Amino acid sequence: MLSYIIRRLLYTIPVIWGVVTVVFLLMAVVPGDPARIMMGQRGDPETLARIRSDLGLDLPIHQQYFRFLKEVAKGDLGTSYRTNQKVSHAIVERFPATFRLAFWAMIFASAIGVTAGILSAVKQYSFFDYSAMFFAIAGVSAPVFWVGLILLFIFAYNLNVIPGVGYGEGSVLYLILPVITLGVRPAALIARLTRSCMLEVLNQDYIRTARAKGLGEKTVILKHALKNAMIPVITIIGTQLSALLSGAVLTETIFAWPGIGRLAVEALVARDFPMIRGTVIFMALIFLVANIVVDISYGFIDPRVRYS
Amino acid sequence: MGTGENNNSSRHGNLWYEAWLRFRRNRLAMVGLIMVISVILIAIFAPYIAPYDPLKQLIWTEGKAIKLAPPSSSHIMGTDFYGRDVLSRIIFGARISLQIGIFATIVSLLIGVPLGALAGYFPGWVDDLISWLINVVFAFPFILFVLAVVAVFKNPSMIVIYLAIGLVTWVQIARVVRAQFISLREREFVEAARALGLPTWRIIFIHILPNALAPVIVQATLGMGSIIMIEAGLAFLGFGAQPPTPSWGLMISIGQKFLATGHWWWAIFPGLAIMYTVLAFNFLGDGLRDALDVRLKR
Amino acid sequence: MNKRSFLIIALFVCLTIFISGVGMAADAPQYGGVLKWREINDPPKGDPAMATDTVSSRMILCIFDTLVENHPDGEGLLPALAESWEGNEDGTVWKFHLRKGVRFQKEHMGKPTENKGREVKAADWKYSFERLVHVNSPRAYFLDMLKGYQDFVDGKVQEWTGIKVIDDYTLQFELEYSFAPFVSVLAYNSFMVIPKEDADKWGKDFNFHPIGTGAFVLDKWEHDQKVVLKRNPDYWRKDADGNSMPYLDSVEIMVIPDNTIAYQEFKKGNIDAFPDFPDEFYVEAKEKFGKLFQERPWVGTYYYGFNNSKPPFKDNKDLRQAFNYAVNRELISELVLEGRYSAGKGVLPPGMPGYNKDLQGYSFDPIKAKTLLAAAGYPNGIEVELQVNNNPRHRAVAEAIQAQLMDLGIKLNLKILDWGVHLDMCERAETQMFRMGWVVDYMDPDNFLFVLLHSDNHGAKGNYAFYKDPEVDKLLAEARIETDWNKRMSLYRKAEQMIVEDAPWIFLFHYSTSLLAQEWVRGIYLPAMGDYYTALYNVWINR
Repeated sequence: MLSYIIRRLLYTIPVIWGVVTVVFLLMAVVPGDPARIMMGQRGDPETLARIRSDLGLDLPIHQQYFRFLKEVAKGDLGTSYRTNQKVSHAIVERFPATFRLAFWAMIFASAIGVTAGILSAVKQYSFFDYSAMFFAIAGVSAPVFWVGLILLFIFAYNLNVIPGVGYGEGSVLYLILPVITLGVRPAALIARLTRSCMLEVLNQDYIRTARAKGLGEKTVILKHALKNAMIPVITIIGTQLSALLSGAVLTETIFAWPGIGRLAVEALVARDFPMIRGTVIFMALIFLVANIVVDISYGFIDPRVRYS
Repeated sequence: MGTGENNNSSRHGNLWYEAWLRFRRNRLAMVGLIMVISVILIAIFAPYIAPYDPLKQLIWTEGKAIKLAPPSSSHIMGTDFYGRDVLSRIIFGARISLQIGIFATIVSLLIGVPLGALAGYFPGWVDDLISWLINVVFAFPFILFVLAVVAVFKNPSMIVIYLAIGLVTWVQIARVVRAQFISLREREFVEAARALGLPTWRIIFIHILPNALAPVIVQATLGMGSIIMIEAGLAFLGFGAQPPTPSWGLMISIGQKFLATGHWWWAIFPGLAIMYTVLAFNFLGDGLRDALDVRLKR
Repeated sequence: MNKRSFLIIALFVCLTIFISGVGMAADAPQYGGVLKWREINDPPKGDPAMATDTVSSRMILCIFDTLVENHPDGEGLLPALAESWEGNEDGTVWKFHLRKGVRFQKEHMGKPTENKGREVKAADWKYSFERLVHVNSPRAYFLDMLKGYQDFVDGKVQEWTGIKVIDDYTLQFELEYSFAPFVSVLAYNSFMVIPKEDADKWGKDFNFHPIGTGAFVLDKWEHDQKVVLKRNPDYWRKDADGNSMPYLDSVEIMVIPDNTIAYQEFKKGNIDAFPDFPDEFYVEAKEKFGKLFQERPWVGTYYYGFNNSKPPFKDNKDLRQAFNYAVNRELISELVLEGRYSAGKGVLPPGMPGYNKDLQGYSFDPIKAKTLLAAAGYPNGIEVELQVNNNPRHRAVAEAIQAQLMDLGIKLNLKILDWGVHLDMCERAETQMFRMGWVVDYMDPDNFLFVLLHSDNHGAKGNYAFYKDPEVDKLLAEARIETDWNKRMSLYRKAEQMIVEDAPWIFLFHYSTSLLAQEWVRGIYLPAMGDYYTALYNVWINR
């Protein structure tokens, strides 16, 4: 087990190195000069050259690359071109907002998804089952940002029950719509997977035995079957994490949420290379570590899983 | 050798036919198929169906009244900022979405199938290398990756969008193909082909690949839906199709500013169109999965 | 009328006079209160040497001061930290007499500063100007006409010889050549005085710790949420009655990226000042708030440049003119821009000295356009690419123009790019047509005509259209050194007329600037230089 974890952690190093290299190469060939953008619309070429050399942009590309690798290896993500802020500071400042959003979105998705999935399985082929599964497929088919816009339109602009977009200094009211927006897709996936897992479990021998022993239906479902429903939830969390982080980019844009996704998009537009690299590396790291955690937690829930 | 191949293909013929029988019995799958065909027909016959020219800006001739006009009998889904008919733009938008879906899928197949096949067929460093690449792309927040690739090109044409989307979505295909190849490479018919001294490329592409096709088809069909959504997301962030292209994502992106002033139709209807199309491909993909009896690891 | 009713009326009249008297008294400036000013993003720069954007400038103008400043209505220059100034005959030597008793801010983010609130002397100005070069300010080259600039930049000498400290309160500038708009350049918001002690202490982080002489000191900066600026008790400015300024206790720059939410907050009274008001709510707000909605022409021009160095527009005046006649500016402004921009006739915007209100320019004339198009060699129309930077308003205008030109057989393909790429391609002359706008840096026609259209400035220095006309070049160069105001203006007038005739751009619009403020915000006045120049030291709150 321990050696498995260590091996997995070690494997993140070449993957992160790959991510670092890809993002560096993309930024090396992307048109649009950060120094030029800093100068504003009008600039003189001489000052431009000095700013470029200040930022190290005039070095040959391989030198820039090795310099950058060395810094990343030391854990230094550099300083933003645009705001002079330390990239790591900016991430630390912004990440809690994204984490809060993603965390509650997952809680929301699990709650809705598991409930709907179990009920659908228990009442297979009922009206509830059909409508729940229809919504589940529809939920996977709707663009995240569009769901967000509709929620905004209904609850903020027309019913006025929710103040609107923004962080609202941490108020829960502002959290509700972005969480639903981001949670719809995983909720739908969890519901579908929970339903099919439950159906499989309900037909298995030990459940039949439990029923035959005269245990109440509720007890059977809650005691025996529910445990198995954890597997789809965790699987979805694992597989949807990347989608969730990407979805956060859009959700944060719509709801003016001061998270890391919006930071990354703003940085891309401004060609703020250190900030783009930093946010991408950070998000990749989160993704990899979370996946390891997910894989390990399988073992706790399902003893049949072995690590090799 | 010839007979072996024939046997293979005839066995396949039966499989495909059985799959079709199973598919036909699946109600959701048939609904999906009909929905997909309807979108294709709308795209093909757009000029005959659309009540207006999707690019015609009516404000210049009809004045302010036609700007952002709500749904009415003459404009069923209302008009946009320039007095263009929203319904007509949605109808023509089907072309854009399908185009992107198809071409980006082709790009992802062109990259994903050979790489997945190689990784699956050659254990060892080839597999390690390609698997590493797949993991790298997976770890990259994909929307940022697509945005960055689009930004790299100075000319944001449709081809760039196909390429950028294909460059991220190929990993899904490659994973499926790789898994298939791993399970197939030790099978008897492959061993036999190897024993006969057939060239490796022949074994990979002619003997194994056809047997690995079913999950690829399922994955590609499901992928169409997500590609259409990625494009919408790109357009929403201002990196997608260029105006005045009637792209659904672009319509939502510009229309959303007017939600707050009550002009909901501009942003809501294109979203429904996206949902309908993606739903269609998801139904179809699910149906295909059940019919072809494929278990996809997602 | 009986006695009683007379008494009542008299009482009523007295009361009215008394109440209105109270009202008037209440309308005199009062101390205290917070002004919440909305901005769309966090200010990226706090260091005046580095700022090139309006949001940073808004904050910087609260914290720092220049030697001279622009009259709010664009009528010349007013003294600021310099009480007076004089130039020599040919305008190559300028002497500035500094205001006495101006002190640097002694507090910053709740802590005492390094300068301890000492007085500003001429040496501080020399330091601040030289610092521009040391920190690679993108605006240092605005002063490249000052003697010794090049040597100082190249590091050949230790000081900028063109800037001399005569005594503690006298500063002298020596110019390489006579440059008439020199003093107005000094009003630009990069040329602020900075305390050396604090700049040294913070180094690069001075960007987050701006300290100057301005009406407000930085108290708190919560990135992406708000910037809190506190009243500077030692501010040098006094009002007409000798009361110290500013009146406000503090200014909070609220970062609200979304226009819809910002407007809702304004309606709830949570925001006091809403600059650069968005189009979506324009009609509603104008109706609802009436006089509280200030709007005026902004000294800026919106244009589509042709690439004059490459075909098809090179040496084809007919074609360029045809495009100019093909656009219905008034209708686009009315239908797409809510009538907020005025139709552009030439290069200089209204409000700029030298603006020629009699200029004919181009008006929508499809027949003339058709004829010219044929004369240009394109009787069946032409296909060109228009490059626009990614911004909703620019996109909206481009789509409208695209549709209008289509009617004349001109197929305009839009290419929408990020700002950085857009600039890159424009300055390398890799476009056919491009969108650009220009808003005043300093109130002088030189800032438009010379910068944007003189052939010395091809590319990044401002002439993105790669326009070159020897006659125009000569007139603009002459005007730069001419010291007689009227002669200069007539030179500019002549040059502009030639440029308009030559049509190196599609002259499109002149901008407007706007500011919506609550009824309880008094003394707030939208200046010609744009909303971010709005003075806040003379604003007070009366709730």
